[in-house]
Parts: sequence; structure tokens; C-alpha cells
Amino acid sequence: MLRFLALLATAVCLTAGTVAAHHSAAMFDAGKQITLTGTVKEFQWTSPHCWIQVLVPNPARPNAAPLEWGIEMDNPVGLSRHGWKPGSLKAGDKIVVVAHPLRDGSRGGQVVSVTKDGKPVGTGLATPK
Amino acid sequence: MPRVLLVGALAAVLAATGCSPAPAPLSERVAAFEKLPDWSGIWEPNVFVGEGIGQALSPEGLKNGAPLLTAKMPLNAEWQTKFDAAARAQAAAVQADPDHPPAPPYPPCSPPPFLLGIASPALSQWRITPEEVTFIDTINFVRHIYTDGRSHPPADELWPTKMGDSIGRWEGDTLIVDTVAIKPRLVLFTFFALDMSEKLHFVERIRMVGHDEIQNELTMEDPVAMTGPFTLTFKYARVKDATRMIDETECDQITDRNPIVNGRFTAITGR
Repeated sequence: MLRFLALLATAVCLTAGTVAAHHSAAMFDAGKQITLTGTVKEFQWTSPHCWIQVLVPNPARPNAAPLEWGIEMDNPVGLSRHGWKPGSLKAGDKIVVVAHPLRDGSRGGQVVSVTKDGKPVGTGLATPK
Repeated sequence: MPRVLLVGALAAVLAATGCSPAPAPLSERVAAFEKLPDWSGIWEPNVFVGEGIGQALSPEGLKNGAPLLTAKMPLNAEWQTKFDAAARAQAAAVQADPDHPPAPPYPPCSPPPFLLGIASPALSQWRITPEEVTFIDTINFVRHIYTDGRSHPPADELWPTKMGDSIGRWEGDTLIVDTVAIKPRLVLFTFFALDMSEKLHFVERIRMVGHDEIQNELTMEDPVAMTGPFTLTFKYARVKDATRMIDETECDQITDRNPIVNGRFTAITGR
């Protein structure tokens, strides 16, 4: 579904005559990237979309409970094509997630890449053809 | 009488009375298969090649999708007015809440409507037999194209359905598909719906244009709504990094997370 959304974003851009910018009306701000360093609470390998629930320390309150972020991914078929497996992440894994943030400021994003123990999980980027 | 003899006797009676067509000899069927092109493999619309793990389209995909979004339907004045109103409503909805643009006008987690589904964002396969070509994808968009020489059913046996009635024939390695009785509510690639007339009619010319590409030149006709035919070209790229067709639509509102909440795209944080 998000793929169709991406197409809609393209449509909006085309209408506005700003194809290259790819700033869109979508919920994720494709023009921004955030980096989250935290601990996997849950890796949901499910259709229609996989999710990583990651606990990220609150920089404003280091002693408080970490904040939970929801990071949306492709579906399992799409992730498999990028070398991901159902067990690629487990609760407790220390990860670094790069994501396009939600534009409304809530704690969510669209995954760009994931690093675990300093190594990329899957390929993350566009599939080489 | 042993069961096998009973079955044999029944088959002989049916064949003698014309109740069941006698199957073609195996050699004839094998010969029929040998004349058909080989479109085996897994495919996806070239709009979606190279997308990232967050489903962001690749630069190549964006470039490939642009012609579909910018193509202009030759609508007559009455339908152009309807189109413009729908486009304005869509633009207003997006502008009103750019963080959460409206969802496409069809149920979430169901196969997209006919025209949108031709460029379905999923993996797909073609099953080619002498009698039928079947298009199947991983979001359950399934087309049955009958190539056994039949005509469309008579008008009093047709009614509009999601996929309509498709018959096909081969011209060399090109499959010519004729589709009628489609529900006339088209969902266009900019996600607004446009109600066409019951005269809506599609003709497709589908062929392999290289080992790794299948092309569908689709022409839409609607003499009530349009001043002439409207042609879109869809291209499918061979998928080399997937070996299985897996259903992507197994979602429901209870057990799975769905990006659509109250009819609008969203992302759910926590649960």
C-alpha cells in the first residue's frame, strides 16, 4: 500500500512541477532523515508491513524510561528481496535505525537502513539491477 | 463390477451421447503448448524496481511511473468537468492534511480495482495454457483471460464485475485481450475515482519485448465519456531476487497493523 502512496506522492510532485524534490504529501518526510540508536523491543515480521518497535533513550531525560518508536518497513516479501529474514532482529538487539520521520512529529518513521552490531542488516538501499 | 469398469463405462456413455467433450489427444495438447510463448518467471511493474526496504520508490521507478501519472484522458466536456471536480477534491484533501493524505477509494488489504491493478505494486506471474492465460499477483489481483476461442457472453448474461470478462487471442507472440463488463468506477493513478459509462471497454496488446521485460499496451475506449481511445503502456520487469510468490495481503484490523486508520494513511506507534 505504501508503494501506491509513494506513487501518489509522485503525482503531487508532478502536479507541482517539482519531481526531483520528491517532497510530498505523504506522512513521512522523505526529505529528512533521523538516526535512532536504541534497543529492539519487537520485530514484527508480518503482512502487510513489517515493523520495528525500538526503545530509544530520551536525551532530555536520560534517567527516564526510553521512548518507543515505531518504524515501518516493506512487507516480508520485499524485505526478503533485500536479504532480511524473520530472525534478522530480536528483542534486545542494539541497533541504529535511519528513517524518514513522520511529518506530524509523532514517534514513527519509514525505514531507510538498519545497522546491528555495526553491520548493516540486509541491503536497505535500492535493489541493484 | 469393479469401480474402474464402472467409471470407464460411464465415460464411454457420456462420450457417445455428447455429454462431455472428448479430450484432445495428448500429442495435440503438447503441440498446442509448444506454440505458446514462455513468460515464466516472476515480474513486477517497472515503477517499483529498486524500491528500498521502506518502500520508497527508486529514482528509476519514479521516472518509469511519470508517464502513467501525466497521461491525459481524452474526455468529452461533460466527463472532463467530472474529472476536474474529482481532481480538485483530491488536491483539497491532500492540502487539508498533508501529513495524512486520503486513502485510495477501495477497501484496504483488498486487490486494487482493474486499471490500478494492472500496475499492481506486487510480484506477478503469468500462467499460459492453450485455453487460458491467468495473471496472478501477490496482492490477489487475478485475471482470467480465456483464449479457447470463445466470445464474450451475450449481453443478457453479462453484468459489471471487478475484473470484467476477458477473452484473448494470440497474434504471433502477442496476446490480444478484449475486456468488457468492467465496473465503470475507475480508480486512477492519482487515487481519485472517476465513474465512466457502461460502454467502458479495454483492448490490451501484451508481449515480451526482451528476455527481462513484458509490455502491455492498454487502450481504453468509452464512447460516452471520451472523444477517442486512450492508451497507456505498462511495463513489467523480470524479478531476479525473489523465488516465491507469497501473499502480501494477509492483514486484518485485529491481528495485523495496517497503515490505514479511519480511512486515512497513518503510522501507528506502539500498540
